[in-house]
Amino acid sequence: MKNTQVLKRKENMKIRMIALLAILALVAAACGDGGEADSETTTTTAAPAVTETTVAETPVEPDEPMVDASTIRWMTRPDNPEEAAVYSEISDQISAGMDDIELVYEPGSNEGAGYQQTLLTNLSAGTAPDVFWIPGTDIADFASRDVILDLREYATATGHNDADFYPGPMGHLTTDVDTGQPGDALWGLPRDVSTFALYINNDLIAEAGVDDPRELEANGEWTWEKFQEVSDGIAALGGEIKGYGQSAWWGPYGAWMNGAGGGFFTADRSACALDSAESIEGLTFLRELYSGDSVIPYGEDPEPPFRAGTVGMFQNGRWATPGIRTVDFDWDVVGLPTGPSGPGNWLFWGAYVVNANTENPEAAWSLVEALTTAETQAQISALGANIPSRVSQDALDAFLGFTPPANNQAFLDGLSNNPTTEGPLWAGSWPEYVTAMDGAIQEVVTGSRDLSDFEANICSETAGAFS
Amino acid sequence: MTTKLTEGITQEDLPTWFKPLVAWRVVVAIIVSLTLAATILKRGIEVEGLLRWTLALGLLGAVVASVLAIRWTSAREHRGRLAGFVLDSLLAVILGFVALNGMGMFTGIDAVGEAFNGSVGWLGIVIIGWLVQGYAARTEAPQVALRQVARWTMITGLVVLLLAVGLIPGIIEFFRRAVQPDVLVFWVIAIPAGMFARMGWTDSAAQLFETTESQTETMDGLLFVAPNALGFLAFFAGPLVVSLFISFTEWDGLTAATFVGFQNYIDLLSDNLFLRSLRNIVVFSALAIPLAVGPALLLASLLNSKLPGMKAFRAVYFLPSIAGVVGVTLIWKQLFNSTVGYLNFMILKATEWINALFGLELEAAQPQWISDSNIALFAVVILFVWQQIGFNTVLFLAGMQGIDRTLYEAAEIDGAGPWRRFTAITVPTLRPTTVFVVATTTILALQLFNEPFILNSPNAPAGPANSTLTPVVYLYQKAFQQFQIGYASAVAWALFILIFGVTLLYFRRGGEDGVLSA
Repeated sequence: MKNTQVLKRKENMKIRMIALLAILALVAAACGDGGEADSETTTTTAAPAVTETTVAETPVEPDEPMVDASTIRWMTRPDNPEEAAVYSEISDQISAGMDDIELVYEPGSNEGAGYQQTLLTNLSAGTAPDVFWIPGTDIADFASRDVILDLREYATATGHNDADFYPGPMGHLTTDVDTGQPGDALWGLPRDVSTFALYINNDLIAEAGVDDPRELEANGEWTWEKFQEVSDGIAALGGEIKGYGQSAWWGPYGAWMNGAGGGFFTADRSACALDSAESIEGLTFLRELYSGDSVIPYGEDPEPPFRAGTVGMFQNGRWATPGIRTVDFDWDVVGLPTGPSGPGNWLFWGAYVVNANTENPEAAWSLVEALTTAETQAQISALGANIPSRVSQDALDAFLGFTPPANNQAFLDGLSNNPTTEGPLWAGSWPEYVTAMDGAIQEVVTGSRDLSDFEANICSETAGAFS
Repeated sequence: MTTKLTEGITQEDLPTWFKPLVAWRVVVAIIVSLTLAATILKRGIEVEGLLRWTLALGLLGAVVASVLAIRWTSAREHRGRLAGFVLDSLLAVILGFVALNGMGMFTGIDAVGEAFNGSVGWLGIVIIGWLVQGYAARTEAPQVALRQVARWTMITGLVVLLLAVGLIPGIIEFFRRAVQPDVLVFWVIAIPAGMFARMGWTDSAAQLFETTESQTETMDGLLFVAPNALGFLAFFAGPLVVSLFISFTEWDGLTAATFVGFQNYIDLLSDNLFLRSLRNIVVFSALAIPLAVGPALLLASLLNSKLPGMKAFRAVYFLPSIAGVVGVTLIWKQLFNSTVGYLNFMILKATEWINALFGLELEAAQPQWISDSNIALFAVVILFVWQQIGFNTVLFLAGMQGIDRTLYEAAEIDGAGPWRRFTAITVPTLRPTTVFVVATTTILALQLFNEPFILNSPNAPAGPANSTLTPVVYLYQKAFQQFQIGYASAVAWALFILIFGVTLLYFRRGGEDGVLSA
């Protein structure tokens, strides 16, 4: 009996020892990263991007322990896992060059929670990172609620120049919260920009014997009418082949309104302009386009059929490029066709902003600058999904080299030929406006609502979105 | 002179730790009181709004309990032991977590994965040792030497693994972080609290406080449920109560909330989009629940046979339930694509085959599964049913295997055929399982979110003409896209009431029929 008890005690002791070891191993692993990160930061060579901004003044002592280092957390939404890896690498490079600052990069989204959800939850809980990325349409919501820091003071100190970036995004990023017009504030710097182009299947175009859109564009003949002809010509191949496809969110249909000289808002963005003659003209063209059967049905995702080689033209942003690069047919891009009022497109963007509650605003600003240098943007753009937000010739030249597609110039043209800058609704709620607008336009394009009814009522239907 | 305290125990008999225990009770009362004062005066504890007052209320309770605990402990009453044990345990756990958080332990969770991923190969040595030990144990003659080799192989593998994941530098780093002043202060309180909690659990403490057998059993029971109860309070009941409060406010999640009473609920009644989402979810449930339950019952009947390969079939039918909903939905999104999706391709081929076979000229329907507002919800039903049917089948199968076989034998002798046996024995006997399956499927159906959200991406998650807008999708839009957390919480509570009501109805019906009494 006594022997049994002794054995049982020994067995219990063994189990406790194993449990203790397992806990120690977990603790060790959780803590171990700190040590590794420290050693990495002291040995990694500083990235070129950092040398410009933060390292130059106070070089890091290679053997200096990082015990007193402050931590700056930052978060951005990568477009794909490859981009997440590059952001992580960039974070390490910048961290290596920042004196007494340790950077921690957080991708921000996972299968369980989207980026927006994670960010808002963190902000509500007071645990949001020091620096984070937000879409251009969210700037007003964050700035007007004092969630993000006005960085002008820090920017002036480091000699920042707003003109280094595309003016459209900078207009929103410098907007005065009270007036809703560009002012002296600086809410952040654009991470990257994008615009729409038409991804084209050259094999289908050749097979259909229609004009090559790139040649038409070069000759200044790439108009809505020619676009319709090409689309119909490709669809005439028959079977499951379609001429054109686009998604059903606000960007693609808005591009047609922009091309007609219309838009979602009045010039000062204080009222609805969906009922303007130009907006209705763009919408009329879109409705007619979808009334035939030469296009992918409205609301269907056009990317799978394009990748399957059954669609001739597909409208999307630069972010679609990495996925399209895997197709096994000859493809390229061409600009959007010129509308009745000339070229029209979007300038999409998102910005790095600084948490108003950061304890290290100067370091956070340094990080924002480091993340938006031409070199850092080139590293990200090389993956294919982004276009640099700097207007420097170096950045643009580098972008042109990131092929395929061969005709990268189409994206740059889209950005320079009178695009409408994606932006928030300083005088209201952009998400509410979009919710009301999306449904109404879907009804119009699919033919379940008259254009006259839309024209008469849409601005009153969306009026609730304005404050 | 010896003071007689209670029968059998004198002042000299008191254990050496009793006086420190009483002193500790005073220390705890002071700590808790100071924390309460700091919370109310906003000195060092920067918690705002509802959270601040909730914390203050909890701390006030702790102050009262800790003062009473001093008195009861001094008098060696059992309730003093119980109150002290609860306070010390909570103090140790809460401050331990705060200290670990301050040390950045929880943000190192990713590092745990990375470290083990990089060193997991060494685990192979442990597994080899374990296999060898298993082999040695199975052989008829005990092979002591082989067992020793196996044991030392396992120990060596474990040691190498621990060294490889960075045990020694990790422990050094742990202690380096633990002695930082802003962390150390928490350990200084948490460690003695843990020690006194442990002390209060010993037999000698039970003897000193004259704890009865039944009181010991009560404490044991409380201790066993404590981890779950704490988790429930912290991660379920707490947020639930907070969300109820938020539903009475206008709050954007970023700035201070404004109390608006029942206004959010009143607005819901006239909110067309919310009403549309309710309509959609009712239609969806009416279609999805019978389709996810009825065929599952029939499938379970087929799988409840002893034919060869049946286990493989059971596994195959269960697979959709364990597959990640995001991945599955993305695959279905491709299948549903109206131009290059396999569903329409199969419809096309089937039509061609029928035409060829019967000499007809039927035109193949090519539904726009996701983009046509008339059928988009039905596409979601198909996906939901496909995912749910396997799990329901397994539940029915488990229920069927619990049915007394003699019932079937008796019925067979009486001349009942398979269908009669199914309707007269299987279906009625399975009623408790059926109620459970229907209730859980209903709850899942009413909480529908992932499927429409992903199917419609990158377009609006509400689907064409809001045809797949569900209450949870609407809640998401309001909370995370429109920054209306207060209103979204009201939507969540309205949905909760709906789900609670339906579930209650099921179980009350089940209870009335006696099917849930077993």
